Amino acid sequence: MTRILPAYLRYLSAALLVMLSTGVYAQKQTKLTDPEIASVAVTANQIDIDFAQIAIEKSKNTEILNFAKTMANDHKAVIDQAVALVTRLKVSPQVNDLSKKLLSDAEKTKAMLKRTKASNFDKVYIDNEVAYHKAVIGAVETVLVPQSANAELKGLLEKVLPALRTHLAHAEMVQQKLPK
Amino acid sequence: MKRLYSLPAVMVILLLFTACNGGHSPGSEVVHKPATHTVEITQMQFRPAALYIQSGDTVLFMNHDMVDHDITEQNNKSWHSSKLSSGQSWKMCFETSSDYYCSIHEVMKGKVVVR
Repeated sequence: MTRILPAYLRYLSAALLVMLSTGVYAQKQTKLTDPEIASVAVTANQIDIDFAQIAIEKSKNTEILNFAKTMANDHKAVIDQAVALVTRLKVSPQVNDLSKKLLSDAEKTKAMLKRTKASNFDKVYIDNEVAYHKAVIGAVETVLVPQSANAELKGLLEKVLPALRTHLAHAEMVQQKLPK
Repeated sequence: MKRLYSLPAVMVILLLFTACNGGHSPGSEVVHKPATHTVEITQMQFRPAALYIQSGDTVLFMNHDMVDHDITEQNNKSWHSSKLSSGQSWKMCFETSSDYYCSIHEVMKGKVVVR
């Protein structure tokens, strides 16, 4: 039986699910510099805050709302840490092809989330969160950490991984609890 | 004369009070000196995940993560900490065993076992 990818996965698949989590990006592209890595890290966190804000506005489900608030707070904390680090290192995050691609794909996903009907929103949002966190974990493990030159930047990215894995487990738990 | 409190009730109250407030009252026999144990919250885990203590011991929860956590009793939500930001701690004296979790990150779980 042929399975058709839902719309939200089509938006994610090109930029994240294939390019990042499989490490294809790392093999085909030139190595990212630390300022570029900082930009990708901040962008990826901000994207999930934006997704969470849409969920907070649209959902009535307590589990979804709690999860979305946690995503907004946690990813804000990560951005604060990253900004504090690059400020101390006197490094300015540098926009690059990867961070641009993340942003353009996120815009499509946000538009899709906004036009999703309320009756289907919770499932679409949490499915996207599961896919997004899998992709970001893959990107941090296979691209961002290996390519970081500065030890403190590498350390911060490694420190973020347990939070991302917990977010994924939390998203999968919420996903299981939603009515089928 | 009206009797206000039964002797066993007074003894239980005194025992509970002394257990969580220093372990002994003047003239009483010290059975167990209450200890303070630490549960480190680090890398999105409670460490140790299972802590074995004696009744009246205090457990200090210390948040080393960059994100907020809390500690909430799991079965009935009968007690909970305030929200702990990075670097903050919270402590509680335990008389009975408790399963707990972080209500912010619901997959984070731990337990205190009173032996």
